[in-house]
Amino acid sequence: MPKQIAIYGKGGIGKSSTASNVAAACADEGHRVTIIGCDPKSDSSITLLRGRRIPTIMDLMRQGEDIKEEDIVFSGYKGVKCVEIGGPEPGIGCAGRGIIVAISLLKKISKAIEDTDLVIYDVPGDIVCGGFVAPVKKGLVNEAYVLTSGEYMPLYAANNICKGLSRLEMTLNGVICNSRGAPNEENIVSEFAKEIGSRLLAFIPKDVLVQTCEREGYSVIEKASDSAIAGVYRKLARSIMARSEGKIPMPLDDKRLRELTRI
Amino acid sequence: MPVKEKEPLIMHPRPSSIVAALYTLRDLDTDVVILHGPPGCCFKHARLLEEDGMRVVTTSLDESGFVFGGHDSLVEVLEKVIKRFNPKRIGIVGTCASMIIGEELHEAVTEVQPDVPVIEVEVHAGYRDNTKGVIIALESALASGIISEAEFERQKGLLKEATMVEKRHGAASKEYLEPNRGDLKFKVAGRLLELLKQGKKGLNILNAKKETAFMFADINLAVAETAEKLGCGPNIINMANLDDNVGLPKNRRNAREIKDELKQRGMELHHIIGGLDEYPVAGNTASRIISENYPDYDFAVITGVPHALPIDNIKNMELFSITNGPRQVVPLKDMGHKHVVVEIDLHPKTLGVNHIVESEFGATLREMAKDA
Ligand SMILES: Nc1ncnc2c1ncn2[C@@H]1O[C@H](COP(=O)(O)OP(=O)(O)O)[C@@H](O)[C@H]1O
Ligand code: SF4
Ligand SMILES: [Mg+2]
Repeated sequence: MPKQIAIYGKGGIGKSSTASNVAAACADEGHRVTIIGCDPKSDSSITLLRGRRIPTIMDLMRQGEDIKEEDIVFSGYKGVKCVEIGGPEPGIGCAGRGIIVAISLLKKISKAIEDTDLVIYDVPGDIVCGGFVAPVKKGLVNEAYVLTSGEYMPLYAANNICKGLSRLEMTLNGVICNSRGAPNEENIVSEFAKEIGSRLLAFIPKDVLVQTCEREGYSVIEKASDSAIAGVYRKLARSIMARSEGKIPMPLDDKRLRELTRI
Repeated sequence: MPVKEKEPLIMHPRPSSIVAALYTLRDLDTDVVILHGPPGCCFKHARLLEEDGMRVVTTSLDESGFVFGGHDSLVEVLEKVIKRFNPKRIGIVGTCASMIIGEELHEAVTEVQPDVPVIEVEVHAGYRDNTKGVIIALESALASGIISEAEFERQKGLLKEATMVEKRHGAASKEYLEPNRGDLKFKVAGRLLELLKQGKKGLNILNAKKETAFMFADINLAVAETAEKLGCGPNIINMANLDDNVGLPKNRRNAREIKDELKQRGMELHHIIGGLDEYPVAGNTASRIISENYPDYDFAVITGVPHALPIDNIKNMELFSITNGPRQVVPLKDMGHKHVVVEIDLHPKTLGVNHIVESEFGATLREMAKDA
């Protein structure tokens, strides 16, 4: 069975950039990788496809297409399989149901989430309803990672996600710090990770390269492969691919969370 | 990319996939079914199914269940069901409400760990063809080892045909079908008597869906009895989809019960054209038998699902159709059936029975034959 992971964290914290760089780094090492964008924004795979936007499953379903694998699974950087679920127009319909329907369609018409070494589910920042945990509930995710910076709000979101995971009895396999340049950030996130019963897997510095590459439609791994930050993503990719043990996280109370951001 | 042929919108209400799943679970001899959804969902059919001995209960999802999820209610109801009914086989059926909010039926089963098989049916009412509800139920029964792969494939083939039958000449054949009470029973019975008296040769065909045969068979029986009474019995050829060697347990049982009763009441079946679940294809068998043996017959009485009988080999006969769908009248007339009679509300009267139930048309014919 492939390694099936989901990366959670506050909206805008860097889940999609981390997911696509990890995907690219794993592909560089010869792993077969599939990335499934579950955010209605459908921006998970764009930097693996040289800036190209691919049709989403929801778009095709809405148009009443007879959907085949080649219509929704696209080959990106070094063969990474890219799928975007998409969603209805903001404020209309039910995006959660969309994820449920799209995942079952994908399972039916494609082997992209079976015949592979790593599946990354890039989920939206907030698990707003049942549909957004469908991949977990349907047993399609077996490892969860939380991405956060050392600031209070992202940590608050990360802690909330841990509450959700523990309710679902889902294990957490590591915390990743995506730096926003807050003081003492690595220590704060590392301490947070320890206290919820997990570990800090990587500290990704804030680096404008991420954004410049992104603007041109590339991952850092592809466009700036010799950069220091590319090295960080590679190391993170290796520790994700290594056999790792997860634990059901123990969320902190709010008082402790506030204290943490002051250390 | 090939765009799916856009299916036309159909406006009249049609049978629901959830209900179809419920009836399928009954045919699989399920003792109790839990509907995971709002309390009033499928109320009428849930109630009717109890006549057949299957219990149906609901998790009664309310506004707060929609918002916060219904997992706990499902666990609670499942536990209660096990305690109260001591069932040997349980079904859990989804509804639109629970499926939209992403309820996982399996989670509750994992939590409760019942020691009897549970058939989980993730279904809602939003499928174009209600046969989808049957297929999902059967898939789940297959997964839990309750039916064989061969039976599953057989059923799937039949359902595909059933859907096609409805598309061609049935409830899914038009954007809107006007309900219609059909022709007056006493007029149609009068015409039938006339033909019998004239010594015309006729086909008497039962092609009914499952338990509805308990009442439709009464009409075929009335025709046979009347012909006998008028001394023209040999002019009538009887055919029925009463093969008791095929289908799910209940369908076999029912076929046997009806066949035995017909025999005991003096009606000889000249041809068996299939089983009770084979109504979508049994018409083809009947059609073949007719073209080989009775191409020049004068009239045909067809009960149950008359529109499943291909018209080619009977189009020169005077056709008497008896259906239970008020929306089936117009399509049957369009096909060329001269007389169409509706046995209104037939289905409910055929639940929970194991003997032939008197029909209005049968009673009319028998009554009029007294004076003939
Ligand atoms: N380590 C980083 N350094 C600099 N910019 C980053 C870094 N990680 C992410 N970003 C930028 O932050 C923005 C939001 O990231 P994104 O991956 O879209 O977030 P999310 O998927 O969590 O909503 C993007 O423009 C991205 O380029
Ligand atoms: S809409 Fe669906 S869930 Fe609601 S009552 Fe009707 S069939 Fe049941
Ligand atoms: Mg994103």
